Amino acid sequence: MKASLDHIITSHAGSLPRPDGLIAANRAVETGEPVDEQAFQQTLSAAVAEVVRYQHDLGIDIPGDGEFGKPMGQRVNYGSWWRYSWQRLGGLDPDGPGFDTAPRRSGPGEVVLTTFRDRRDRSQFAAAYADPESGITTGPRPPAPTCVAPITYTGHDAIRTDIANFKAAMRAAGVEEGFMSSVAPGSASRIGNAYYKSEEELLYACADAMREEYKAIVEAGIILQLDDPAIAENWDMVNPEPTVEDYRKFSMLRVEALNHAIRGLPEDRIRFHLCWGSWHGPHMTDIPMRDIVGVMLAINAHAYSFEAGNVRHEHEWKVWQEVKLPDDKLMLPGVVSHATNVVEHPELVAERILRFANVVGRDRVIASTDCGLGGRVHPQIAWAKLEALAQGAALASRQLWR
Amino acid sequence: MLYSTDRILTTHAGSLPRPPDLRDLVLAKANGTPYDPAALDSRLRSAVAEVVRRQAECGIDCVNDGELSKTNFTDYVRWRIAGYETRPSSGARRLSITARDETKFAGYFEANPRRWSLGPPTMPVCVGELRYVGQADLARDLDNFKAALAGVNVAEAFLPANTPGTIEHWMLNEHYQDDEAFVFAIADTMHEEYQAIVDSGFLLQIDDPDLPDGWNCLPDITLPEYRNYAAMRVDALNHALRGIPKDKVRLHVCWGSHHGPHHDDIPLKDIIDLIFRVDAGSFSIEASNPCHEHEWRVFEEVKLPEGATLIPGVVGHFTDFIEHPDLVAERLVRYARLVGRENVLAGTDCGLGTRVGHPSICWAKFEALAEGARRATKILWGRAC
Repeated sequence: MKASLDHIITSHAGSLPRPDGLIAANRAVETGEPVDEQAFQQTLSAAVAEVVRYQHDLGIDIPGDGEFGKPMGQRVNYGSWWRYSWQRLGGLDPDGPGFDTAPRRSGPGEVVLTTFRDRRDRSQFAAAYADPESGITTGPRPPAPTCVAPITYTGHDAIRTDIANFKAAMRAAGVEEGFMSSVAPGSASRIGNAYYKSEEELLYACADAMREEYKAIVEAGIILQLDDPAIAENWDMVNPEPTVEDYRKFSMLRVEALNHAIRGLPEDRIRFHLCWGSWHGPHMTDIPMRDIVGVMLAINAHAYSFEAGNVRHEHEWKVWQEVKLPDDKLMLPGVVSHATNVVEHPELVAERILRFANVVGRDRVIASTDCGLGGRVHPQIAWAKLEALAQGAALASRQLWR
Repeated sequence: MLYSTDRILTTHAGSLPRPPDLRDLVLAKANGTPYDPAALDSRLRSAVAEVVRRQAECGIDCVNDGELSKTNFTDYVRWRIAGYETRPSSGARRLSITARDETKFAGYFEANPRRWSLGPPTMPVCVGELRYVGQADLARDLDNFKAALAGVNVAEAFLPANTPGTIEHWMLNEHYQDDEAFVFAIADTMHEEYQAIVDSGFLLQIDDPDLPDGWNCLPDITLPEYRNYAAMRVDALNHALRGIPKDKVRLHVCWGSHHGPHHDDIPLKDIIDLIFRVDAGSFSIEASNPCHEHEWRVFEEVKLPEGATLIPGVVGHFTDFIEHPDLVAERLVRYARLVGRENVLAGTDCGLGTRVGHPSICWAKFEALAEGARRATKILWGRAC
């Protein structure tokens, strides 16, 4: 995996704005309109080629495929990063009872996930969340499917296409290293369960199935990014607030399942993405980084990507003064964010990078975004933010290598 | 004006959430649709009392009336000056604070059309000598605010008023010989409002987004040209402030509070000397959003005017995420170490009330502001407050 050897290199968290043509094509598939498969594939591969070239032009050192193979049929959409797995896993019934049907209460030593509607931030700011003008949008929220039979991986064709499109795009743009995201078991298992005896069994079934996708990405020579916001944002979905100890235990089960899923895969080809959920709400109930960083570092990845560029988490760079990033690992702090339309000034980006570099060492920091920008801010703003990211990294490099 | 003598004090930039029933009445009056004036008067009085109490409960030391009687911070002046006529228009202003951003982000602005200010889609055109006619409205505001303050324990009270340069954004001139004569005439008119606020014992907050955001209104202007443009408007403002002691005046500057990219806002370092030329004793400056957060470093080189205080925005309207109190404290400590802890008050980037997604978000941000100020105090004075 590339590191910042002679300058601060840049990447981002995954999702990028889909071109209107691809959104329209995805929408047609979603609504069951007749679709010319060959034309669809051409639209998709052309869009991936374009977005990889564009990232390269903007100065992103480790580009992704923009998650374009993960269908998004709307301009505003916060969920394609995990919902795509519903189309790549067998054993699911889209019309089953679903996932978050009735609120569930947790107790001491017994942490359970409640419904999205019953999340604590949402309860505390019920009027704000209910107000259609508040701007706390998350786009469409289709109901989750229910597991009714053994979970299997059925996305072989889809991941093969994703890999082929991305590799062709990288070759064309002259990019050596790129990353592709894939959902981790902790997040993928937030579906209904009418088959497995326990949540743990469901979790490991997801781990075993998704492993095939992880393997395919790594074997193709692409950096695998495991997306598991559930590690942090499940905290808000436990009602009432659990003890940190109980929550860590609950989350470690998900980390162990993830480590099981990536067993034997080369650690230095894997990076991990943590975030607190990307919707534009108050985020008052986000678990502090300090309380979850140990759980994150237990994941067998070579690099860790996390939110650090929004007002709820910006101060947490100080955590790394107390918690040691293991010597051989890298970090990808978010230094530009989806949390605001205001474009980060490159000098602020540089200041944020320097803060991390001064704590963990310049060669261990890759400048990145809080979360995927696609579907979360307007395309023009997303690109301006990536440009600011690259400019800020260049400013920081000048200070760090002068 | 206050100094943070033994702890970091808190204030904010002005606008606070309007209760929906009051908002309807204020809008009806502004739009010329039928409404019950007695109902407006009584609801306004009770709402101002509520909003003052709420600020105190949140831990705000220097409070205001939330601008509740106004459609917004600038258009209220329409109902307080005479000498113009209204003509039909698209509702767009003469000068647009997004003009510069629109050249690069046309697609964004097309997809996210700005909601124009509350009020009629007409263009005021100055056709005669301007004069102040807002005495009754102003007296009502002063009276409501005084009554509201009677029941609460706060350190200071401020009332905002708009600047000549910002009024110029939405009024055309067909009467005065040139821009300078026009802007100075607005200044003479607004002087009466400024003086009355100070005479009532309140701190006068001058809302001057124009000083930075005039740059955004004029996409083709060069920096030297802009500095001349802004300097004339600062002179006009000082003309309007004549005779008022500096310590009764604070200046609020921001870069226009729309939620757009703000990609080409003028850097603070290019106008800080002009800001400090205003005859004010304290300076409230947008400082927490990601296009201005880095500008605390300006104060590594630039000194505050003798005796002045600085009110950096440490929570913002630009995001509905609530600032973590530790981030608020980190920001305050940074400023305190540069300009002296006693000279720093905790403020907001801009008025939060009508600019964040929901009233509950505004109040949560105020609580984060107050808690952050307490944490900064602990760091700066080595003790809890």
